[in-house]
Amino acid sequence: MEPAIEVKRLERRFRSKKALDRVSFEVGRGEIFGFLGPSGSGKTTMVKILTNQLLPSAGEAIVLGKRTAGKRDPQLLRKIGIMTDNSGMYERLTVYENLALFRGLYEAPERSVADTLESVGLAEDARTTVQQLSKGMKQRVALARALLHKPDLLFLDEPTSALDPMNTALIHETLRALNRQGTTIFLTTHDMAEAESLCDRVAFLHNGELAALDTPQRLKLKHADRPTITVIATDGRYVVNNDREGADRISAWMRAGQLLSIHSNEPTLGDIFVRLTGRTLS
Amino acid sequence: MRFSFRRLRAIVVKEWKDAVKNPQILLTSAMPIAFSFLFDRKETSDPTVLAFPLLLAVSITGAFVQANMVAEEKEKNTLRMLMLSPASPAEVLIGKSVATSALALLVMIGSIAVTSVPHVNPFELAALILPLLIAFLSFGTTIGLMSRTVTESSIVGLPLLLVVIMGPMLGSSLNMGWFSAMVDWLPTQHFVLGLIGLLEDGSFADIGVHLGALALWCAAACLLCLGVYSRKRFDK
Repeated sequence: MEPAIEVKRLERRFRSKKALDRVSFEVGRGEIFGFLGPSGSGKTTMVKILTNQLLPSAGEAIVLGKRTAGKRDPQLLRKIGIMTDNSGMYERLTVYENLALFRGLYEAPERSVADTLESVGLAEDARTTVQQLSKGMKQRVALARALLHKPDLLFLDEPTSALDPMNTALIHETLRALNRQGTTIFLTTHDMAEAESLCDRVAFLHNGELAALDTPQRLKLKHADRPTITVIATDGRYVVNNDREGADRISAWMRAGQLLSIHSNEPTLGDIFVRLTGRTLS
Repeated sequence: MRFSFRRLRAIVVKEWKDAVKNPQILLTSAMPIAFSFLFDRKETSDPTVLAFPLLLAVSITGAFVQANMVAEEKEKNTLRMLMLSPASPAEVLIGKSVATSALALLVMIGSIAVTSVPHVNPFELAALILPLLIAFLSFGTTIGLMSRTVTESSIVGLPLLLVVIMGPMLGSSLNMGWFSAMVDWLPTQHFVLGLIGLLEDGSFADIGVHLGALALWCAAACLLCLGVYSRKRFDK
């Protein structure tokens, strides 16, 4: 099966500055792909190129089998959903009226508004005007709008930026449910925890170039050069090496019934990003 | 892709609901009716005065309200979401214009109701008003697209609209040749002259030149608007 997204040696310059520099990657169908990098690293530029809002300076991008050419493609627009952290809403209209507009534009079924509101936990708020909603609820309305027509491919640009943990968890839950139904998700974020919890694969973008591309697990294993294990026993907290001596100590705690908790200390995605690029994500 | 009346209807319904909940739009729309009421109390025999209530209704509601509505979409980042939907530029622009036209029609009826505009054949009047309204809607959309905020659309639009609205009234009274020459080209001047022709029992043939000029303005304004919309869809 052809990939959902193919990006080949893509470049985008803004005058003399290169926002994207010979970036290549593929996103498989049904995958959640994280595109990670700090602000200004080129993430949003990539989303704009993939959604036909911006032309690349060189290279090519193919989305759902169609080469993006900076031209309006209604057939492609029907198959993709887009949500950004500043997706505008009609503030004077109700949640239902906002979604009813897009149901009409996508010629979606009558039931789609109610079903989608149910899926993002906003069924009770359908008659509330958008200006009365919290930021987190507005983000969920924006997500509902992107999902209304059941897109094959969903672009999410910083979907949970500045949201509280409860709304973030609700959005993550919705995205996982969608992905289980086969929706491919292209997620840009600078939140490493979000990427780690959601993504099948992640790409690190630094100064417009890809610094790494792999599954979170493999990246962590690849960069865990001196793995250690943290043990919490009844008499304290210990960090032991992942070797024979460490195994003997852990075994002793277990046999004595003193082991309370154990976990491996591989680096986080944030640590790996710093190691590869020399800068933090935030 | 085919033109979709379902998409068009969705945009019209949204625009109408949004407009009637927007105090700024309602206040701006009420202004022509209030001005017409005041203007009707002015004692004058100048025939151009007769056109003033209609001119105000078409220009303020058609252009100014449209510019505000489009600029607000840009300011609130909702226009991009429309542009990224399957709705074509024609569907979006016509949808917005239909809602504004309905508002303009109500304002025109209100303006005529509070004034003593002499009886004119409504079909002939409509033939004059329609191209002017479409031209103003297109200008309003263009001003809205070029502005980043609602405030900016007012700053850009107000001087232009004042010249276009007041031009036919001031052109002959000001002793400025270049201004009078410019006014002769304005769509509002052709509208006023056409309306005077109709008031003097002129036929379509008598006002043909003005109808033709208005049709040209209408076509040029539509092309300008479509061109600006297509460019604004993309980032540089």
